[in-house]
Amino acid sequence: MNFFSLVSVELKKIKRSKILLILLVPVIMMWIPSIINSDFAFDTRGIPITPENNFFIQGYMGMVWFMIPASLVICTVLLVQTERSRGGILKMLSLPVNTAKLCLAKFTILILLAFAQMLMTVCAYCISAALVSWIQDYNFILDPLYVCGNTLSIYAGAIPMAAVFWMIACLIHTPVFSVGIGLASIVPSVLIINTKVWFAYPMSYPFYLLMVQYGKAAEGMYDTRIDWMPWLPASILITVTALVVSCIRFGAAERK
Amino acid sequence: MILNLEIKKLKRTGYLPAFLGGALLASAFPLANMLFRPETFTAMPGNPFDILMDANWQMMAMLNTLVSICGACMMYHTEYADHGAQKMDVLPIHAGSTFLGKSVIAAFMLAMVTAVEVLILAGCALHWFPDYRPDTAELLKNILGSILFQWTASLPTVVLMLVIASACKNMWVSLGTGVILVFTLFIFPQDNVVLSLFPFSSPYQTLATAAENDRIFLFLGVCAAEILVFGVLELIYQKLRRCVE
Amino acid sequence: MNIIETKNLTKTYGDFTAVSHLNLHIRKGSVYGFLGPNGAGKSTTMKMFLGLTRPTQGSFRIDGKTYPSDRVSILKEVGSFIEAPAFYGNLTGEENLDIIRRILGLPKSSVRDALELVGLSQSRKRLAKKYSLGMKQRLGLAGALIGRPPILILDEPTNGLDPAGIHEIRTLIKSLPRQFDCTVLVSSHLLSEVELMADDIGILNHGRLLFEGTMDDLKSSAHDAGFPTDNLEETFLAMIDEDNRKRGGRA
Repeated sequence: MNFFSLVSVELKKIKRSKILLILLVPVIMMWIPSIINSDFAFDTRGIPITPENNFFIQGYMGMVWFMIPASLVICTVLLVQTERSRGGILKMLSLPVNTAKLCLAKFTILILLAFAQMLMTVCAYCISAALVSWIQDYNFILDPLYVCGNTLSIYAGAIPMAAVFWMIACLIHTPVFSVGIGLASIVPSVLIINTKVWFAYPMSYPFYLLMVQYGKAAEGMYDTRIDWMPWLPASILITVTALVVSCIRFGAAERK
Repeated sequence: MILNLEIKKLKRTGYLPAFLGGALLASAFPLANMLFRPETFTAMPGNPFDILMDANWQMMAMLNTLVSICGACMMYHTEYADHGAQKMDVLPIHAGSTFLGKSVIAAFMLAMVTAVEVLILAGCALHWFPDYRPDTAELLKNILGSILFQWTASLPTVVLMLVIASACKNMWVSLGTGVILVFTLFIFPQDNVVLSLFPFSSPYQTLATAAENDRIFLFLGVCAAEILVFGVLELIYQKLRRCVE
Repeated sequence: MNIIETKNLTKTYGDFTAVSHLNLHIRKGSVYGFLGPNGAGKSTTMKMFLGLTRPTQGSFRIDGKTYPSDRVSILKEVGSFIEAPAFYGNLTGEENLDIIRRILGLPKSSVRDALELVGLSQSRKRLAKKYSLGMKQRLGLAGALIGRPPILILDEPTNGLDPAGIHEIRTLIKSLPRQFDCTVLVSSHLLSEVELMADDIGILNHGRLLFEGTMDDLKSSAHDAGFPTDNLEETFLAMIDEDNRKRGGRA
């Protein structure tokens, strides 16, 4: 059967799993403090940045550092668990489907879910920016194209990370462990972003992209150019390796 | 007896390795910082131990919290996954004793992790700051004080997480709640006293900052009170659960 | 003609031998009863047929195809039901079957057909996790029967059903070869049950095949060996007992 119908089958499997709700909660949680502390946007601490840009960057900061990776980890485990908990995977493996295809279809769902969360983020930003503009009587709303473009690039930057998390979930069968490792791997990205080897650590990619935007919005704060050279090949290599490993290992424990 | 039982239940769940791994990973932060950019820190004025604490504790505490969340989820997952809890309910033991046993284990693990991390920080301070030569008594006071304070500050979070995990039969709900709480309280500004006293926020407080603002006893007192409150909450919940189910 | 044949099929986990040098011959269009106490290796053998576990030694052929090279084409012909029924709890019975239907590329009507076959049409809109044990079992069976595959592998399909349900499923299985022109491999730990539906039986104990043949063969060979023959359940128990004694004596 072709790949797209397999993806639609996989989509059907996450029906009623409340996953979209799980993805929505962090998005809302992220913007509430920004709205409450909206006067902080004017407190630029001597950094040459406009309040509206400050509001955008500060709000997205928590998102790229923690919330996108954490949501990906949760989605990954949820996808793996729906298969394993009631033996659904056994049924799948005894049906005539290619395991690697099945694995890739599931990964597609993962990045589709991430995309849905990005859409929610853009909406949440627009609502909170409008709300804050009204509270503070100052126009906080940035060009929608700028916001969407940034969100899209952050999304693209999150794909290698998603592949790595997917690989972790395929390799480590105790779900708490794969979640634990995933979450623990998020924490050091703030450190690694400041080192020379940031491009080898996919969890820091979205953060890096936002920092570049920060550099553009506030002069002299950060690089304004993206280092495509070591980054692009490194990220492609990481993504491909992670996906190949997960395709090989997917369902291997059930077929022991 | 209960403690023994609870320890036995954790067999083969990977509970101990998870905490060990967490402690090692957290200890890697100060080590990496000192290995790759020692000048940033050695050039700072003040007590080297406090400098390192300041620079690293946020992340170390966050890792500890995450590991504790996973630990709490693991503990109650073994209860709920194959209906172990149901069996425990029909055995002649006090409803709260399971929770107490689990809390003691979790508190002990947290103490161990905190001790390892503080010792590593002290080791880094001694190794990379040539001028830092405190006498043994002062060093011991620093280390023990930090372990005790940091441990107490994190304990309410651990206990609250156990309460959450015991309330949710589905491990994913408790895990998600924990992660969202970590995140939400992390992004609130730390200089707000009331907010910093909340569980999930108090672990980030360091002894030095608390001493500076003269808040050590406030923290210790509030944390102790929080632990008691959460314990009572769990007992009430257990009573209610038996009535409802 | 044999549709499933195994040759010295063996599976070991560490130093535990689950299946040992198994040589099965399953005739096309027959119901083959696979009999043995719990832990005899019935499920392991069936899992090997489905590619869920790799044989340590030996090989098998299903409709002329071998594993692992023809895995997908074997699975296209086999409808299976293994151990505890496998399903997605967050989906309804109908949706669970629809997933299988789409993967097998069957027409929409096949879902209704399968639900009717196992008597689940009434509760097709309920969530699978809310099903009773018997309904879960029926859902698993429906997942095997959907699309009317030429080969059916059913692992203890009547587990957890009430007497009426057992009778119904038994009758269904017995009628399958005639109705859909298919071959059924069905396992059980009750001889009385196998006796009522199977044409041929194979008796397995501790991974080894003690007997293979028709019911009449069993009776005559039991008679020759001096086992009680007036009640088949007793024959079976005596055979297993005898085998266990021999094994015990060896160890």
